[in-house]
Amino acid sequence: MKERQSPRARVDCLSREFGNEVLVYDLQRDVGHCLNSTAAAAWKLCDGNRSPPQIARTLSRQLSTRVDEVVVLLALDQLADAHLLVEPEVPVERLSRRVALRRIGIAAAVVLPLITSIVAPTAAQTASCLHNNQPCANSAMCCSGICLPILGGRCFGG
Amino acid sequence: MKKLDRLDWAERLTLSAFGVRAGVRVNVSGLLPRVLPLLPPGWTKSHRVIVERLYSLVVAQGCERAGMRRLHVLYADTMTVARDAALDQVLAALETDLHRYTAEATSDMTFLHAGVVGWQGRAMVFPGRTLSGKTTLVREMLRLGATYYSDEFAVVDNFGLVHPFARPLGIREDSSYAQTKYTAERLGAASGVKPLPMGMAVICKYEAGAQWQPAPLSQGQGALELLANSFAVRSQPHQTLRRLHNLVRHSVFIKGTRGEAHEAAASILNLSCARERLETT
Repeated sequence: MKERQSPRARVDCLSREFGNEVLVYDLQRDVGHCLNSTAAAAWKLCDGNRSPPQIARTLSRQLSTRVDEVVVLLALDQLADAHLLVEPEVPVERLSRRVALRRIGIAAAVVLPLITSIVAPTAAQTASCLHNNQPCANSAMCCSGICLPILGGRCFGG
Repeated sequence: MKKLDRLDWAERLTLSAFGVRAGVRVNVSGLLPRVLPLLPPGWTKSHRVIVERLYSLVVAQGCERAGMRRLHVLYADTMTVARDAALDQVLAALETDLHRYTAEATSDMTFLHAGVVGWQGRAMVFPGRTLSGKTTLVREMLRLGATYYSDEFAVVDNFGLVHPFARPLGIREDSSYAQTKYTAERLGAASGVKPLPMGMAVICKYEAGAQWQPAPLSQGQGALELLANSFAVRSQPHQTLRRLHNLVRHSVFIKGTRGEAHEAAASILNLSCARERLETT
């Protein structure tokens, strides 16, 4: 295994800042992510030129507090899990979250990186679905996913 | 489509709603007046011939024979949307499908699946899927003096303002799935007309016996919740994100599980009032 090289953020995603958080929409996977302040700051510094220690130093300057490299590694792992980094050509060493948290300690000076993700719904998923005994033409229209072929089609359950 | 076109159509209508053009044709005279109240609020007649979606309602005619049921059928373009012996059910399917299609196809606005009321000049938004209890909460808010905007859609413009989509509330009574329609006026409330900035979004779901203890949510997390309830995020991600950004600018978010709607509604309004007082001092 090689050590983590200089990570690069994907540029083919849409992003918007909400305070110090960033909402990222992955156009390829149709997934939305909310990066908290630390994850967002780390993501913005992933330009392909900075190594994790350099990102940690820059973050420390930006946030006026010491940011441990482990925090950066934790952020990078989460960003990689969320597919928000360009995939490295060689696999990188992963830091166990438990190990990271132990090394950071309970008195971390910065907020730990956190990424929340949702799969963007299709229009049909967003819309209200049909309920028990309502007429249906196919199963996709029913909340239960079951359209029985009785009386011209009726949703069963849901 | 050609087969459908060949049928004898008695009445037809072309409408435009939120920039989406749709057509409705029926094979029986005198049926269109029953269709008009089901169209999206704010619809206008269009004189264009080309529509984006054409609904064909074939009403079964003639006597029923023994062992054979006559079914009314609704098509959206060539797709069968509903087939039923009860015309009311087929008309309800027309309303649902047309509203859903409008929400999905419009690029003028971003539609979120949410209940909305107006309170002290701001919109209060309750995003959530079916059976999350949106309508019940909206109804309770109206009872406490809020203005009705919608029980189904938060309609957001480019500036992040929430527009009314004041269709009659579909209330499920006695825990049944069937809905009864009530206008806001019939429930003793007024319907909103003016677009409003969003003041608060409440993400909650109903759980019998739960105690309402909401927790604050950050703007980013709140925006993500709204994204999860937006109709066209896959087809219009740029616009959706931009409008959400404008929508949440001055808003607070709370999230929790609620029990009975009247308790949650009173608490939400108290929170909103407290926030208002904080802002004015």
